[in-house]
Amino acid sequence: MTLSDIAFWLFSAGAVWTAWRVFRTDSMVRASFALMLSFFCVAAILLLLSAPYLGIATIFMMAVEMMVMALFMVMFMMNPAGLNPMMMVHQHKVSIGAGVAAFAGLGAAALLTDLPHHAVAAGKPVIRDLGTELLGGSMLIFETAGITLLATMVATVVLSSRSGRFGAADEGSRPPGLEPGGKPAGRAPERDSDHSHHAEHGG
Amino acid sequence: MTALIAVLLLLAAGIWFGATADAVAEAAVAGHPVRAALTSPFRRAALMLSRQAIATEHPDRLNRLLAPACYLVLAAAGLSVIPFAPGMAVTDIATGLVLWGACEALVVVVVFLNGWSANAPLPLIGGYRYVAIGLPAMLISMFVLIGAALPAQSLGVGAVVESQRVLINAVRQPLGLPLFLLLGLSITLRGPFDYGDSADLAGGTHAEASGAHRLLWRAAKLAMLTAFSAMAATVFLGGYLGTVLPGPAWLVLKTALVMLVLVAITHLVARVPPARMLTWLWTVLLPLSFVDLVWAGLEAMR
Repeated sequence: MTLSDIAFWLFSAGAVWTAWRVFRTDSMVRASFALMLSFFCVAAILLLLSAPYLGIATIFMMAVEMMVMALFMVMFMMNPAGLNPMMMVHQHKVSIGAGVAAFAGLGAAALLTDLPHHAVAAGKPVIRDLGTELLGGSMLIFETAGITLLATMVATVVLSSRSGRFGAADEGSRPPGLEPGGKPAGRAPERDSDHSHHAEHGG
Repeated sequence: MTALIAVLLLLAAGIWFGATADAVAEAAVAGHPVRAALTSPFRRAALMLSRQAIATEHPDRLNRLLAPACYLVLAAAGLSVIPFAPGMAVTDIATGLVLWGACEALVVVVVFLNGWSANAPLPLIGGYRYVAIGLPAMLISMFVLIGAALPAQSLGVGAVVESQRVLINAVRQPLGLPLFLLLGLSITLRGPFDYGDSADLAGGTHAEASGAHRLLWRAAKLAMLTAFSAMAATVFLGGYLGTVLPGPAWLVLKTALVMLVLVAITHLVARVPPARMLTWLWTVLLPLSFVDLVWAGLEAMR
């Protein structure tokens, strides 16, 4: 067992353990950054596989992505600090099914594909080769995937930002009372023509 | 090994130089005696160390401890790709600029976690505000760095320095250095880009920190200032290139120059409201970085 074998197993264990922590923690921010650590372990394995650009770019991209994800989740979930405990897992049956199917699919793909098993020759211009691949033969695939992902993100934000937690955001929504049947918590929505809202503010 | 010692020495010297320059600039702007400011960083550090550590209610202890330490480590990691002389870098990897980019991205995470982990309002606001401004500022720097990598035809920092033997990038791509300096202000939480640790939030992400924690956070900010300045000096001012003096001396001189410029901006330029800054970033500065990239591309094809 060489040193890089030991490193591979350590990083693999780290990736699995931090990924497991994503579902065991009770905070969205902690979950995001646990996922980030999991990806960092994968990035380290990429470095071991002589893919320096992909490895470091994974660290770079995941740092930004998980930061944005934490921010957006907190924004949409109305849990101001992300420190409030909350249940991080839901739809148990569906997600277990999806998880098992994804694991089986990806595992089968990894085991059945004829992956190259020879070491990368020292001095091989791996970054140049990667660039030629990305901007050559596979350019159409990557650009299509990029545009599709961007469109999906914009559409998701547009769709999800309208429905607020207590009703449609563009109509003004009111939170429920602090006690059953009590006064609504927080501010009342602005209504220019309605003067009775002064009474609602009162107290 | 020599490079590793050089990195540690540069970090230590940079923290002292940055703190002193800050104190002198502050005294000069405020009209206070400058001579007293020369030793005040040591007094302030000793004062911070002697203060008791305060604890907030239900903080995230792990991240609270890790954030300042990680900030310091990121500064050292960023410095590790900078050559002090031809071939004299801790690691001369072919993806040095990408590694530096990863450090920039992680600074945003670390500053956010420093604000978030305190579980207190002002640090939290500082953290969120910083993310909103810090991420687009980082995007700008990415385009600028890609522009600097074009003439070198490499993402390695050593190759970028060697590509400046005839003409330094600050002249070849005039938009590059000014745009990159904005990132420097952002990742070191300074002056017009200090949306994380500013006085209007009573210290922002480190408002609730005291004692050794506060000292370490401040030192880490200055360490990042040193690392950023060395990077700017290397990528845009030719790094170790120069006549008469040896290479490392040139690098240190250029680093000090960039630090002084950043310190001056810190104390002379006001901060604008975050919403206005965000508009400027996305509508003015980001397009400017595209112009820089096109400029760099056309220049490289010439």
